[in-house]
Amino acid sequence: MSQGTPQRPQTQRQALPQHAVERIQRSRNAQGQRFFTSDLSVKEFLLIRESGFECAGLVMGSSFYHVGYQRSDWSQNQEMTVLTQAMYQARELAMARMEEEAHELGSDGVIGVRLHVNRHSWGEDLIEFVAVGTAVYARDGSNWRAPSGMPFTSDLSGQDFWMLLKSGYRPISLVMGNCVYHVAHQSLRGWFKSVSQNQEMPNFTQALYDARELAMERLQYEAQLDGATGVVGTQIHESSHGWDAHVIEFFAIGTSVSPIAMKEAPPAPVLVMTVNE
Amino acid sequence: MSAAAAVHPFTSDLTIDELLLLEDVGFEPLELVLGASYFHIGYQSASYAQNQEILDLSEMMLLARQTAMAQIQGQAEALGADGVVGMRLEIEREGHHAEFSAIGTAVRRRAGDGAKFRDQRGRAFTCDLSGADFWGLVRGGFRPVALVHGVCVYHVAHQTLGGWFNSAGKNCEMPTFTQAMYDARELALARVQRDAASAGADSGIVGVEVREGHYGWHSHVIEFLAVGTAVSAIVDEAHELHAPARTVLSARDD
Repeated sequence: MSQGTPQRPQTQRQALPQHAVERIQRSRNAQGQRFFTSDLSVKEFLLIRESGFECAGLVMGSSFYHVGYQRSDWSQNQEMTVLTQAMYQARELAMARMEEEAHELGSDGVIGVRLHVNRHSWGEDLIEFVAVGTAVYARDGSNWRAPSGMPFTSDLSGQDFWMLLKSGYRPISLVMGNCVYHVAHQSLRGWFKSVSQNQEMPNFTQALYDARELAMERLQYEAQLDGATGVVGTQIHESSHGWDAHVIEFFAIGTSVSPIAMKEAPPAPVLVMTVNE
Repeated sequence: MSAAAAVHPFTSDLTIDELLLLEDVGFEPLELVLGASYFHIGYQSASYAQNQEILDLSEMMLLARQTAMAQIQGQAEALGADGVVGMRLEIEREGHHAEFSAIGTAVRRRAGDGAKFRDQRGRAFTCDLSGADFWGLVRGGFRPVALVHGVCVYHVAHQTLGGWFNSAGKNCEMPTFTQAMYDARELALARVQRDAASAGADSGIVGVEVREGHYGWHSHVIEFLAVGTAVSAIVDEAHELHAPARTVLSARDD
């Protein structure tokens, strides 16, 4: 582990609230027949079935988190480790609960996972993290779980999932990395020097560069822990979450994948002209 | 139906694509159907320090939507329609009064064999699917049964002063809040599941969305609404399915 990489919080298996357990039990009727709920569109639903999977049910996890306070030095570029840890831990908790629901449903994995950050007017330092996705299982009973034994997770849509399997890869887990960074304010002298001139602001460049690299490095580290060969669909989000304008969170998220044995060659692209605008 | 229906022009809010896709699976549009209900959104006090569902409000919000839906179904019935596609539910609030409205396009099987698309009690199906989604679903071997709902209006407990002191300046989870939001969402989801089962759907629900709403209540009172289309498998040997999906990579950036 390189310097500056925070220890990945060890998320324990989460206990589910009573209503969640009841809902999951009710997703099978007396004959043991499954009845699913899903937030998949019709197209996604059909493609999931084509790739040999069936919907098990909508799964979610939530965590309400109180974010601690950290003083930042006005003129210093620095990571706000307290905030970084809070934002990371809260997302992990929401994800772990969602995985637990998927596990209880007896599914192989979760697709279309979305992570929301909600704020309520109840308190300034309170942030709610919600993870929602649709749990799926293989129709032929084969095991698609991640190496950890828990269901795989991914933020891929049904279309992307279908395409990924067709081209010989499988998702392993939703990986993420974040970094909350305080960007130093410019000194008055620096302001005088740069006013009316075209020039790079090395201070700002370095701060934003650093923060993005740290978030990406953590994401990569998570994927390596999972034994993945790579990460697809990585996105980097920037948000101040209502903090001071110079405090920014960089949040990287993507799906780690590994190759699978293929029965047939991946399909070759075909030229199609649509009549839609 | 009759010759009168044949000369009566249809009205719909469908796009050309949707219209053609509906025709392709043997349906024709009849008329735009509307339903509306007006309700006074009251207030029920909840204990300040308690996580609890506000049952009166949950029931009222459900009843208001069901009333609008029932009107749509009544109109579809009168038209001799087999179902309603592209249904949307909207709420417009003015102070403590709210209008719940529903709108959709009533459709009918051209061949007159629409009975197999109706529910066990012979009522028209309802769904929020677009024409394209409806086509995909029917060709994929499923039929929509009903637009189903689950509602839960929940009061989230306030934090105690002691709790506030304990958490001030620290990173920690707020278990009371977590529990409340979790509970409320799960209740809404469990109800949408139950609604689908009582509508007679045997496969599942697609396109479920859990929405949060405030309707002029106190900030600790939140409505969780889960909506989706319940579907059943089509049991018919002669039913025409679409060809297996093929990869199409769009060369266009979008």
